[in-house]
Amino acid sequence: MVTFIKLAWRNLWRNRRRTLITILAIVFAVVLAVLMKAINMGSYELMIDRMVSFSTGYVQVQDYRFDDEPSLDNTFYYDESLRNRILDSDHRIAEAAPRIETFMLAANEVATRGTMVLGVNPGLEHQFNEIKNYVSEGTFFDIGQNTAVIGRGLANRLELSVGDTLALIGQGRFGMSASGLFEISGLIDHPVIDMNNSIVYLPLDAAQELLSAEGYVTSVVVMIANERHTNAVASAIRGNLNDDELVVYTWPELLPEILDLMEMDLAVPRLLTVVLYIVIGFGFFGTILTMTMERLREFGVLLSVGMKRRYLSVVLFVETVLISSIGVAAGIILSYLILILIDPITLTGDAAQAVVDLGYDPIIPMSFAADQFYTQGLFVFFIAMVVFLFPLLKIKNLNILEAARS
Amino acid sequence: MAIIKTQDLSKVYNPDTIPVHALRDVNISFEEGEFTAVRGPSGSGKTTLLNMLGGLDKPTGGSVWINGEDISAMKDSDRIDFRLKNIGFVFQHYNLIPVFTARENVSFIMLLQKRDKKEIQKRADELLDQVGLGERKDARPVQLSGGQQQRVAVARALASEPKFILADEPTANLDTKAAMNLLDIMERMNKEENVTFIFSTHDQRVIDRARRVVTMVDGAIHKDEVKEVTQAG
Ligand SMILES: Nc1ncnc2c1ncn2[C@@H]1O[C@H](COP(=O)(O)OP(=O)(O)O)[C@@H](O)[C@H]1O
Ligand SMILES: [Mg+2]
Repeated sequence: MVTFIKLAWRNLWRNRRRTLITILAIVFAVVLAVLMKAINMGSYELMIDRMVSFSTGYVQVQDYRFDDEPSLDNTFYYDESLRNRILDSDHRIAEAAPRIETFMLAANEVATRGTMVLGVNPGLEHQFNEIKNYVSEGTFFDIGQNTAVIGRGLANRLELSVGDTLALIGQGRFGMSASGLFEISGLIDHPVIDMNNSIVYLPLDAAQELLSAEGYVTSVVVMIANERHTNAVASAIRGNLNDDELVVYTWPELLPEILDLMEMDLAVPRLLTVVLYIVIGFGFFGTILTMTMERLREFGVLLSVGMKRRYLSVVLFVETVLISSIGVAAGIILSYLILILIDPITLTGDAAQAVVDLGYDPIIPMSFAADQFYTQGLFVFFIAMVVFLFPLLKIKNLNILEAARS
Repeated sequence: MAIIKTQDLSKVYNPDTIPVHALRDVNISFEEGEFTAVRGPSGSGKTTLLNMLGGLDKPTGGSVWINGEDISAMKDSDRIDFRLKNIGFVFQHYNLIPVFTARENVSFIMLLQKRDKKEIQKRADELLDQVGLGERKDARPVQLSGGQQQRVAVARALASEPKFILADEPTANLDTKAAMNLLDIMERMNKEENVTFIFSTHDQRVIDRARRVVTMVDGAIHKDEVKEVTQAG
């Protein structure tokens, strides 16, 4: 085997320039494909990351009716024993944070606004998404305090600031009327734009009391150490709860719109990648084709002296694999370096302003997700295997004498 | 017993279009230790005969027996294996693997035979010394002259310890000095190690060195003469 690899390796460098051009073409394709994907995925990863940490969690426990009808009537009772049952389901669970969530109207003297009221445990919520770091004015409430923290967008619209009083009007559990006054202790620059314009954070027990739902929550978000374990943890919780009334969702189930949008956005770069690889594939094929054809006589001699066709195929296979894997490895390293260099792309000038006006950060983060690298490797390897069919067939059907005469 | 024997060996190229009768009912046998030249004008069937003896092509009639085995009846993959074990080849040109050094070219065939690594190294070095290339073991074919390349080819053919060596016009591309030098080496191997050589040629100087001369005309054996053994050593 060592000899075959040696033979293949030296054959590669018989026509140094051709081999280098082929490798460079593969490097080019891999780099382009990775960059396209990384730029597209980066923004989505950031968006998903924020949605997951501020809204859904990786895994979430709900009442089974809540998804169809997100009303306070479809809440569930959450106590220490349920909390323990969730936490004990799987050792990869870091924490569980209860929330009660509903729509209410917020008012000042001049206007009313629809808001999303979110009752949270401040300590757990902070562990989950470091919410306190986003407070830009005043402070986040602590346990036992009875104040509100609202999104800066909402504050602007209602012309409220720290120290002012917020009036909330709405409906509690089972149609009970709910209204209350809360002092605003802090303003938050919420990273999720929609939430910045509508969020009102209240302490969990204050919210429960306001909504006549003492002890009840709309969801429990589960924190896990690594996103990879989402599905495993979700099914572990399902198994451990074993409760017909409670359902466990994972984040893709809770954010289907974002994922659909992402798929649509990725369609064009995907198509481009395929086209790119087809072009590169033909170039690769051309190289392997000439590498095979110009050596037919040599193959004839090798078969004459007793080299099995199988071994000859092995040598050509190694040549194909060497070219493609050198190309892929160099392409991955190069694209990784480029990503490190450009990440994140900071927009400037008009483009930046336009993005800020839309409510987004003027930066495009790069995705470093491992899969986009090895997918390219698999892709090129697949192409290499298709390309290799040619020499394989050629050797299988090679007539020794015809080869020797060519 | 003859190591090679043909029985009514025939070869017709293009049987369906314009048939070319390259071999017509050839019956010939070769003994161990022979040093035989196959001569004849261009197109007389020398190459075709050697290819048949080496199992590189299939006859259209008759058979080739080597050591009592009918090689024309073998499967393709078995024949490749058989060649590796029994037959050494020297071709007119493009004999060697261009990316391998002289030593690697000689070793390669023994690697295919899955021999012991140390033994391979030792034998490759010995053989290259014997063909007078002790100093050029690490040279690649392009760095060697035509005569040197053919000597490496002879060393490679010997490496596998074959029953016999077939050489199709081994000197055709060589100048007189290189040709005689190659013949010296082949002759010495034949005398000292009893290696059987069958080579085709139309070069009179080479024919003069053979001990048996088979003359072919138009696909048939026209004459088959064994010379008087001159003198030893
Ligand atoms: N592959 C082939 N197809 C058709 N005719 C062939 C082929 N190989 C050889 N011949 C013909 O067979 C005859 C014998 O050829 P060959 O054995 O090469 O003779 P030599 O080696 O003595 O010159 C010639 O007439 C030649 O043209
Ligand atoms: Mg010939």
